[in-house]
Amino acid sequence: MAALLLVTVFLPAAAALLVGCCGQNQARWLALAASLATLAGAIALAVGFQTGDVAFAATDYPWLAATGLPLDIRFNIALDGLSLWLFVLTALLLVVAVLISWEAIKDQTSLYYRLLLLLGSGMLGVFVAHDIILFYLFFEFTLVPLFFLIGIWGSDQRRYAAIKFFLFTLAGSVMTLLALLAIVFWVSNDGGKFTFSIPALTEYLNQHPMPMSMQAWIFVGLFAGFAIKVPLFPFHTWLPLAHVEAPAAGSILLAGVLLKIGTYGFLRFSLPMLPEATAASMPYMLWLAAAGIIYGALVALAQSDLKRLIAYSSVSHLGFCMLGIFALNRVAIQGGALQMINHGLSTGGLFALVGMLYERYHTRRIADFGGIAREVPVLAFFMVFMTMASIGLPGLNGFVGEFMLLLGMFQRAWGGTVTESTLHYRWISVLAVSGVVLGAWYMLLLVKRVFFGSPRERKHAGHISDLSFREVAALVPLCIVIVWIGVQPKFFLDRMAPSIEQLSGAAIRAADGKNGLDPSLAEIPRKTDVDAVKFKSQSRKDAKTQAKAAEIGAPHPTVDRRATNEFLPRTGARHLTTALPLCDFAPPRDFPAGRADSRRKSLATDFAFASDGKDSDYPRAEIARVP
Amino acid sequence: MAKIQITRVRRLLVSLDAVSFLSAEIVLVVTALAIYMGGAFSKSQKVWAPLAMLGIVLAAVALSSCGSNERYLQEPVRAMIQNAQGGMISTDDMARQIADRAANSCVLPDHLSAYGRWLALAIGAVVVLMAWRPLATGGTAEYLGSLLLIVAGLMLVASAGNLVLLFLGLELISIPTYIILPMGRRDAASQESAAKYFFLSVLASAILLYGLTFVYGTTGSMQLDVIRQKLLDVRFLPDGFELFAKLGLVLVIAGLCFRVTAVPFHFYAPDVYQGTIQANAGLLSVLPKAAGLLALVRIVLFAMPDMGPFAWKVLLAISVLTMTLGNVVALWQDNVRRLFAYSSIANAGYMLIGLSVALAMPHTPALWNGIGATFFYLCVYTAATLGGFAVFAYLGRHRQQIETVEELAGLGRTHPAMAASLAVCMFSLAGLPPAAGLWGKLLVFGSALNVQDIVVQGSEGSLIRPWFIALAIIGMLNAAIAAYYYLRIISAMYFREPLATPRAEGGSGPYLAALVCSFMVLVFFIFPGPLMKRCVEAGSRELTSEVLAQEALHNGPHPIENNVALNPPKP
Repeated sequence: MAALLLVTVFLPAAAALLVGCCGQNQARWLALAASLATLAGAIALAVGFQTGDVAFAATDYPWLAATGLPLDIRFNIALDGLSLWLFVLTALLLVVAVLISWEAIKDQTSLYYRLLLLLGSGMLGVFVAHDIILFYLFFEFTLVPLFFLIGIWGSDQRRYAAIKFFLFTLAGSVMTLLALLAIVFWVSNDGGKFTFSIPALTEYLNQHPMPMSMQAWIFVGLFAGFAIKVPLFPFHTWLPLAHVEAPAAGSILLAGVLLKIGTYGFLRFSLPMLPEATAASMPYMLWLAAAGIIYGALVALAQSDLKRLIAYSSVSHLGFCMLGIFALNRVAIQGGALQMINHGLSTGGLFALVGMLYERYHTRRIADFGGIAREVPVLAFFMVFMTMASIGLPGLNGFVGEFMLLLGMFQRAWGGTVTESTLHYRWISVLAVSGVVLGAWYMLLLVKRVFFGSPRERKHAGHISDLSFREVAALVPLCIVIVWIGVQPKFFLDRMAPSIEQLSGAAIRAADGKNGLDPSLAEIPRKTDVDAVKFKSQSRKDAKTQAKAAEIGAPHPTVDRRATNEFLPRTGARHLTTALPLCDFAPPRDFPAGRADSRRKSLATDFAFASDGKDSDYPRAEIARVP
Repeated sequence: MAKIQITRVRRLLVSLDAVSFLSAEIVLVVTALAIYMGGAFSKSQKVWAPLAMLGIVLAAVALSSCGSNERYLQEPVRAMIQNAQGGMISTDDMARQIADRAANSCVLPDHLSAYGRWLALAIGAVVVLMAWRPLATGGTAEYLGSLLLIVAGLMLVASAGNLVLLFLGLELISIPTYIILPMGRRDAASQESAAKYFFLSVLASAILLYGLTFVYGTTGSMQLDVIRQKLLDVRFLPDGFELFAKLGLVLVIAGLCFRVTAVPFHFYAPDVYQGTIQANAGLLSVLPKAAGLLALVRIVLFAMPDMGPFAWKVLLAISVLTMTLGNVVALWQDNVRRLFAYSSIANAGYMLIGLSVALAMPHTPALWNGIGATFFYLCVYTAATLGGFAVFAYLGRHRQQIETVEELAGLGRTHPAMAASLAVCMFSLAGLPPAAGLWGKLLVFGSALNVQDIVVQGSEGSLIRPWFIALAIIGMLNAAIAAYYYLRIISAMYFREPLATPRAEGGSGPYLAALVCSFMVLVFFIFPGPLMKRCVEAGSRELTSEVLAQEALHNGPHPIENNVALNPPKP
């Protein structure tokens, strides 16, 4: 498997070298073959992946130390639960990107596919790098091919957009490099090994946490790079421009994969290595995320350009991901991680569809369309489908992710004791939910104005053909995965959960401590579990009722809680489980390493969506543990 | 009396071993003289470049055989063992003798000299390739002969063990530079550039010399090793003499900062680069900088380590000013050579970071002491900058060079190989993958971040760290600013339609030079280990005569391997 991962990561790059040697028409066939082979490799890896693996298919080669230099930067790649699905998503979107570009790119084709494949290798590498410097190399490298893709094959303002995109991201990521180096130096000067290995650093920092002042500085450094990459609200200005100017394939990969590198960075570095700083930054980060959700949605409502609208919807959706991650709650983080995949699928699909529309109508202005569902019914079908996925229709992927992260956020806001931040969290939760409504509004409006209603007169009155087989082939895999995640999220969550719990455990504990949830409480058996199971069995069938229950149940424990808590410090936790009984609140600290246990305790199994009937014995196991 | 005189003279003059050690330099000088002479008699313009290249190749052969460190260090050991066949000679005695010999030698056969000499030959080879075509104005023989002398000068600077030879090497770089600067062009700009460089360079040499006299006056010796020992020996310095040493240090830094193009001694660079041909601009932007850095390391770091607590502040201030000014002003440049001049100023600032770290942290082991980082950065910078100038040289026409960034428009279509080479070099200078510049930045900024608060000679240690963290942050922000103007070049090449196809008349020499340079930049990105190891060795601090003696005796573990433990034991 180790060889397979290595080959999968570098196959696109190797193909890129070959593409340079062949003609313009062979280039795209070769690119398609390479990207399909990469996807096959990624799927094979996903099949071989066992739940709970933390260093699957690892390759570890002493890169610089091989010559006797005491600088142990290694070529260390491996998959874990967090990176697995992002890896597969990247491979999948690479195929889509190649198919989308098939007819659209006529100019300098061979160079185009070469850059696209290089970008593919870079993105795959980011997610598998287990060495801090290797991660940074891939992280920076992804900028280079995309810079060319935007600058050469973009539309009118492409040069400005390319340079702005590049400089914005670079300005942040140089600070990230300093922060990453600072982590390495801190560990080695603190008495740890001088190592660049991400798992080793995480391990060490778990046992010997940094002082808060140091954590805060490093957090700011990491934040500079990752927040721009995400992009978090005030740093998002490069994104709409880059999206609008980029060719369709560039937009797909940018929205689908590259933005996730930011959230991935937070999950991989900030949460496990700087838990206290992460917990302390919670209110600020959540406000920024909520601001991004609302602002992105409102601005998207006002757009007249298709691509720009979807770009702003990305700002909004990535705000949800950040909200999930920084709610620092088990459910929310997993929801956020799942939402990363979901957004990649649905927004990638939307950008692909906009690219197809542009190829046919040569315009992206919403006002130029109208009633085209008659002309291109298949395209309209896919558009509606992707829209539904994007706004979170139950049964499709978006719903699962958004629901989980909002649920977690509500737990954060209404669980625990009332602290200074609680009011903030409550406002943020409410605003975030309203963001869901806004999201549905602008997306449905878009579909209505473009596909339905009365047809407009067009300048190019030629024959408009519906989707070709190639285009359908590009979209169908996305749709399949969207439905799959929608109906069986367990399959995906199960494989993610152990890694994510391991990475986020320390930060969640820190946040619980800060927000009046004494982390030591969680080890005490919970009395309310019986009630919880009752509740669960009643409402298991309908997920929507649960959401309602979460909201209705939420205000319930407000009865003079502060006073109660002074005498009975454990009530906070009890209230929480009463109010939101569907979440296993066992802390990640006692998360067992064994696979069987992790399976049983993983949230997904416990989560009522995954109601395939098989886990019906599971709550009983829980009850059995209650004395 | 006469005998003492003779001994003194023998110490300063070179022994036969030293002649063998300097054989590479001698080969270069002889070739240069041959080319000068030949140029006076032959009208042919084309034979000189191959001849110069042959000289460099021969010098490389000499450097790897009879001029190598190993040979120079092994010879006396063998001789002593032979001499001692009859009697007994202990290892300690032998070590002492060798140490004595190394301390009094005019050349230092250490890793630093090996590094500098190979770098000099590499620069020489690339610049000869860039000047492969005969000059438009004639005088090719004189041009190439002077070029070889400049290369020999840098090699001397790298291996000089005393102040006289060091200064001699620096002048061997400067004086031929005055000759080659106005060559290849006949217009007012080139005259201006040559005159400007001449006057300022002479002034800088004078300042440096003045500083060296103070150093000599304080310690009474020209030998770097002796100066070091005397300055470290507190009893030796009478009261008040430390001030002289400091004065000498400041003057030396000032004089050498001119060669490094550090602020405030940088302002000649843009005018001079603009007024000369591409090959000259390329040479000027790397070779004097290398010489200045090597001399700074030799004099300030190696010979005067006790001045560290004072000198690091000076260098830190210069470094911040240099990189910020260079990068900010470069944003507004349209002329490629002016742009590269400011880029070279900015890069000098990054390299000085390493030296400042080395001065502030006298006991850090080799990897993060900053010197190795600077040397690695210098190598990568050299490759990328020369690659850039080689592309410009290739694209130029007869008597009409590439002047503005706009002339590069559409290069991605018209000359894909050259555009790719230039793009790789630009990415390297900007510190982005896939190019080696990233490793350079990583080492330099890493060494700045790694500075710990240690108590240096009493009280003032505790304030070091914040300064260097601020330095690293400023440096990184500068790197982001710099990316803009490097990207502008790439953007012009790839994102714009070609205006008019530039007829490239540079010939195969610059073409090859550009490919070689960009290839090296890529290779150093993928396999930075070997080069990095050599640079770190060159920057390892334990380069006193005792260490040389130990190395000669045992040929045993190198200092760098003894220093694997990265963290000094905590008190």
